[in-house]
Amino acid sequence: MTEITDRVYEALSGVWDPELAVDIVSLGLVYDVRVDEDDGIEIDMTLTTPGCPVSDALPAEARRAVAEALPQWPVRVEIVWDPPWTPERMNVDAARSLGVGRRLRI
Amino acid sequence: MIPGGPTAMTPPPSVPLAYLAAAAIGLFGFGFVAWFAGDKLVTVPNHPAAVSAVHMGVLAFLSVAVLGALHQFGPVVSNKRLRSVMAGRFTMVAMVAAGWLLPNGFAHGPEWMILAGGVSGAAAALVAAWNLSGPLSSRTGGVPILGLRISVTYLVLTVAFGVVYVLNRQAAWFPLLPNRVLAHAHLGLLGWLGLTYVSVAEKLWPMFLLAHRPGARSGKVAVVALGSGTLPLALGLLFSVAWLAMVGGALALVGLGAHLVSLASSVKHRRRPLEMLHAYLAASTLYLVIGIGFGVAAGFADVDTGTRMILVGVEVGALIAWLSLAVAGHAHKIVPFIQYTMLRSRGVDRHPSGRPLLFGDLYRKAPARATLVLLTVGFGLILAGMLTGSVPLAAFGGGSLGISGIVIGLNLAFGPRLAAGGPTPEPATAGRQA
Repeated sequence: MTEITDRVYEALSGVWDPELAVDIVSLGLVYDVRVDEDDGIEIDMTLTTPGCPVSDALPAEARRAVAEALPQWPVRVEIVWDPPWTPERMNVDAARSLGVGRRLRI
Repeated sequence: MIPGGPTAMTPPPSVPLAYLAAAAIGLFGFGFVAWFAGDKLVTVPNHPAAVSAVHMGVLAFLSVAVLGALHQFGPVVSNKRLRSVMAGRFTMVAMVAAGWLLPNGFAHGPEWMILAGGVSGAAAALVAAWNLSGPLSSRTGGVPILGLRISVTYLVLTVAFGVVYVLNRQAAWFPLLPNRVLAHAHLGLLGWLGLTYVSVAEKLWPMFLLAHRPGARSGKVAVVALGSGTLPLALGLLFSVAWLAMVGGALALVGLGAHLVSLASSVKHRRRPLEMLHAYLAASTLYLVIGIGFGVAAGFADVDTGTRMILVGVEVGALIAWLSLAVAGHAHKIVPFIQYTMLRSRGVDRHPSGRPLLFGDLYRKAPARATLVLLTVGFGLILAGMLTGSVPLAAFGGGSLGISGIVIGLNLAFGPRLAAGGPTPEPATAGRQA
């Protein structure tokens, strides 16, 4: 299952936030990936803010990316708001690409 | 974890895009009229030609743009649909008609044109209020939705004032003294347009700046104080009750001050570098501060009537500049986003280089910077012309605004074609979250 999970994250790394030009994994928008042979792949993800302009497009794109990478698996994407996203969830490279690495002390 | 989230609540892209395209043409018209009315703006700010220019800016440009943004923003933030997409399209047509009929009527008649503009504007405001009451009745959405409920009420009030003034041209119930014109101007600029921007900014600024501000109260203070202060300010001006105008003015000042504090807080807590939008915001804020300064000076300075008229004229001009720069700056975010959604629905989701399509691919940066300069300089020249009595300065300022309308309109209209254009910087793809 770990291999499947890695491939899910790899697929999600190809989905970018169109405003920030950073992928959603690096932004820390992907909270959890669960792989179950019966239930398929379940992804919990969030957005930078409720009412985000890409609130419709981004989850759909995430689902499509994973479905294309793993066509034999059913994929479900759930948007969650708790815990809310904060900039501290970005990884080092994402923060640096946005020019705020020092500001976040990472 | 709490599942759920927004679904497709927004109207078709053609609805907000039609508003924003019409607003760009309105900005061109505003500059064009200001060019020709330069001598009147400088010498007699309440001359019909000057009033015509102001109405062109406030109705054909600002109100059309702000209504378009609200038809997109309201459903997104509240997660509730408009009551009717058709009503949204009707509002656009009616407000554009009002925005062009009224200024033309004021400038050179005939009188039926003013009457038709008034009726059209009233229909637009009433239908918009009904249509937007769907999203604005949402129990979610917080401060922005609260502020928008109040600002849309001010839209109806402002238009109601305007209709009375239009009818008064026929019936001559009362003389249209400068203080009554000012009451109308402050209702529209602070209550309708200003409060809408102040409210929407509380959502947009943290989002565009990635600013996490837990417990920030300045936005709520801004909305409540500006919303509650504008009415007494307008009534005080309308009936020449100085203490009422001062109470309202003080509340409005608190609101606008809190709005500035909120901007400073968003910038301070930002998690992304400053970009072009923030240059627009800086220029816009500068004009707000100028507007506040001249408004206070007009209220308290011991000057003759002519000088006070100039001070008030500069105040009104600076407030229009504040809102215009804010609208133009945010248009460079909102229009690409809507076009992005439209392109994706057509299956276009990749830049020609192969990487995913970004909002920033959908307009050119140089014309966007040129628009910023043209608007900032244009308004600066108009205000300088009013202060120094220089007609050429005011006229060139108007010309600059007119050109900015063409540039921003073309730049954003041809955005989708740029999706097939040149490369942009590669983004970070940094692998799994640590």
